[in-house]
Amino acid sequence: MADAIHSMAVEEGLAMKVIVAKDKLVACTNDVMRAVSSKTTISILTGIKITATSGGLTLTGSDSDITIQAFIPTEENGIENIQIIKPGSIVLQARYFADIVKKLPDDTVTIEVDSRLMTRIQSGHSEFNLNGMDADEYPRLPVLREENTLSIRKDLLKQIIRQTVYAVSTSENRPILTGANWVFENKTLKCVATDSHRLARRTVTMDVEENHTITNLVIPGKSLNELGKILDDRDQDVVEMIATDNQVLFKTDHIQFYSRLLEGKYPETEGLIPNDVKTEVVLKTKDLLQAIDRASLLARDERNNLVKLKTVDQSSLEILSQSPEVGRVYENVPANKISGEELRISFSAKYMMDALNRIDSEELIIQFTGAMKPFILKPVDDPDLLMLILPVRTN
Amino acid sequence: MAMTWSDLAKKQPAAMRILMNGIRNNRLAHAYLFSGGRGVGKREAASHLARAFFCRARDGIEPCGACPDCKRIDSGNHPDVVVIQPDGRSIKKPQIASLIKAFSYKGVETSKKLFIIEQADLLTSQAANSLLKFIEEPQGNTLCILITEHSQKILATILSRCQVLHFKPLSKELLVHHLLENGVSRVMAKTVSAVTSDAEEATTLSKDEWFANSRSIVLHFMEDLLTRPNHAIITMYEKCALHFNDSDKMKMMLRLMLIWFRDVMALHIGQNDNVVYVDRMESLTEAAEKMTAEQAACALSLLMEAQRRLQSNGNPLSVLEYVSLKLQEGAGVYA
Repeated sequence: MADAIHSMAVEEGLAMKVIVAKDKLVACTNDVMRAVSSKTTISILTGIKITATSGGLTLTGSDSDITIQAFIPTEENGIENIQIIKPGSIVLQARYFADIVKKLPDDTVTIEVDSRLMTRIQSGHSEFNLNGMDADEYPRLPVLREENTLSIRKDLLKQIIRQTVYAVSTSENRPILTGANWVFENKTLKCVATDSHRLARRTVTMDVEENHTITNLVIPGKSLNELGKILDDRDQDVVEMIATDNQVLFKTDHIQFYSRLLEGKYPETEGLIPNDVKTEVVLKTKDLLQAIDRASLLARDERNNLVKLKTVDQSSLEILSQSPEVGRVYENVPANKISGEELRISFSAKYMMDALNRIDSEELIIQFTGAMKPFILKPVDDPDLLMLILPVRTN
Repeated sequence: MAMTWSDLAKKQPAAMRILMNGIRNNRLAHAYLFSGGRGVGKREAASHLARAFFCRARDGIEPCGACPDCKRIDSGNHPDVVVIQPDGRSIKKPQIASLIKAFSYKGVETSKKLFIIEQADLLTSQAANSLLKFIEEPQGNTLCILITEHSQKILATILSRCQVLHFKPLSKELLVHHLLENGVSRVMAKTVSAVTSDAEEATTLSKDEWFANSRSIVLHFMEDLLTRPNHAIITMYEKCALHFNDSDKMKMMLRLMLIWFRDVMALHIGQNDNVVYVDRMESLTEAAEKMTAEQAACALSLLMEAQRRLQSNGNPLSVLEYVSLKLQEGAGVYA
C-alpha cells in the first residue's frame, strides 16, 4: 500500500521519461555537441535540449548561429531504440551530459525528469541527478514547410562547399562577404563566394522547376564549413534543403543542420567576370600547382606572397619569384596550348594554390584579359566551376 | 506582478510617453539613449521596451509578460537580445566587434533584433567609433538601446545618432513608495528619502547597518540636547565622535541633525505630514514647544554653517564640538 502511494506520487511529478539505447544516444550527442559553444553569452545555449515525442527522441544543440538537431526514432529497421514512457522536454548542461552518457556502464540509459526539472540519468548501477533547465527558454527553431525542399546529392553539396567557401572574406569590414551567395533560378543553383580579391562560382543543374523559398540566400561561410564536416558517409546520399526568411536547413536522415543567414544584399558578381579573353593557356593542374608551391617557398615571408608568371614562345609558362633577402626561384612549366597575346602577370601564390587545390580535373584553362585585369581558372571538363583571381600590380 | 507601461510612466511620465507613442504608432526610433541617475528606472524601461518589441501576444502596447519571448527576455535567454556590459572598467572594441558580427546575421527567430549597451559612457573611444557606423545604418529590424548615467561623457557623434530620453530623479513621494515596496520600514524610508533622491543609493542606505545606527545615535543626541543638555556633551564624545569618525560620516550626521530641526519647523507651521522622524513625534512636539520657529531657524543656519566648515576641510571633531556647544547654549536659553 505504502509502495503504491509512493509510486503514484512519483508518477504525478514526472515530466518526462525515456529509456534509450546508449550507443544511439552517444552518437547523437556527439553530433549536436558540434554546435554547442562554450563562449555563448546566452546561458540556455550551454545546454542540449532533449525532447521526447511519441515518434522518438530529438537532441538539439546551438550557438545561435548554427543549430544541429539529431533524431533517434523509436524504432529503426525493426529494432527498438527507445521506449518513450512519458513525452516531455528538458535542457541539460551540454558539457556534463556529453561526458556522462559516454561513460555510462550499461547498454540502455533511462532519463527521467520530474516537475522541478531535476533529471535522473540512470544506467546499470550508476545514477546521476542533474539540475535541468526549462525547455521553454530554448530558442525556437523556424517552422519549415516541407513542400519547398530542394534535394541535392551529398557528395555534390560537399564539393560545392569545398570549391567555393574558401573564397569567402574573413574580414568583418563587409560582413555580407563572409557568406556565400546561393541563387536558385531557371533550374540552376549558383553558389558564389568572394572576398573582393578572388571569387569562386559553382553552378549545379537541378531537376526541380522552381522553389519558392530558396531564391537568393547568403549563408555564412563558417556554417557551410561546419556543414561540410558534419556530412559524413553514415547517412543516405541526398540532403534536403529548406529556407525561411532567417534560417536555412540542411536535412539528412538523422541530422538537421540549421544556419542563420546573413543580413543584407549580396553584391552583384556577374559583372566582375571578364569575357574578353586575350590570352588562353591550357595546362596540367598538378604541374602548375606544384610549380607555384615551389615558387612560393621563397616568397613565403613577403606580404603578398607574390609570384610572377610569363608566357614563353606559345609553349610554356615561366614562373618566377624572388625575395630581396633570400634569393630567387625560376621554373618552366610546359603548357599544352597557349593562344593569344604574350603576357606577364603577378599574383598571390596563396590565392592561386587555394584555387588549384580545389580543381579536381586533370587539366585546366586559364583565361587572361591583361596584366592588370582579373583572370579566370576553369577545369577543362567541367563548365560548372569558375574561379577568378585579381592580379597584383608590380613595376 | 507584471510591469506595465503605466507603472513605468508613474516614475518617468515624459520619457515613457515618447516610448509608448512610438510603439502605438509603430514609429520607434532605431536607437535610443536612456540617460539619468541611478535607480530611476532606465533598465526596467529598456527591458520593458524589449518585451514590447518582441512579444507576439502584445495587447495594444502592453507586452503580455507570460509568452516565451517575454519570459526569455526576463531570464536573459532570448537569442535575439544582446546585452553588453562593461568588461572590467570599460566596454572594449572586441565586445563591439562581436556585437556587430552577431548583428550582421539575420535574427534567430524573427527578423527583429535588439541590443542594449549598459553604462554606455564606458565605451572606449575605439569601441564607440566602431559602433558609429552600425548605429547609423542598422540592417533589418534592429533596435538599439544605450543606457548611461553620464550622457555628457558619450561621444557627440553617437549622441547625435540616438533619440535621447532623459530620466528624471524620482520625487520624494515616489521614492518613499518605491522603498516601501522593497520592504523598507516607513520610518527608514522617510529618513533615507530625506537624505538622498537617488533610488539605488536610497535602497543601499536603507539596508545599511551603519546608517541605521547613525540615525538612532543622532536622535539620541538630539533628545539629550533637549531634555538633559548637560549630559549631551558626554553623549557627543562617547557616541557621536566615535561613530562619525571622518569627514564624510560627519556630513551625514549634520544632514540627520538638519532633518530634526526641519521637523521642528514643520510642526511649527503645522505641516505635520512632512515630518521625517515620525517615530519621535513626542520628542519633536516637546522640542517645538520649547523653541520658537526663529530659534529653530537659527539652529538650521548654524548647521549649514557647520556643513560649510566641513566642506572647507574643517576638522570633523572640532566642527562637531562647535555645533554641539552652540546648540547646548541655545538649549540653556530655551529651558
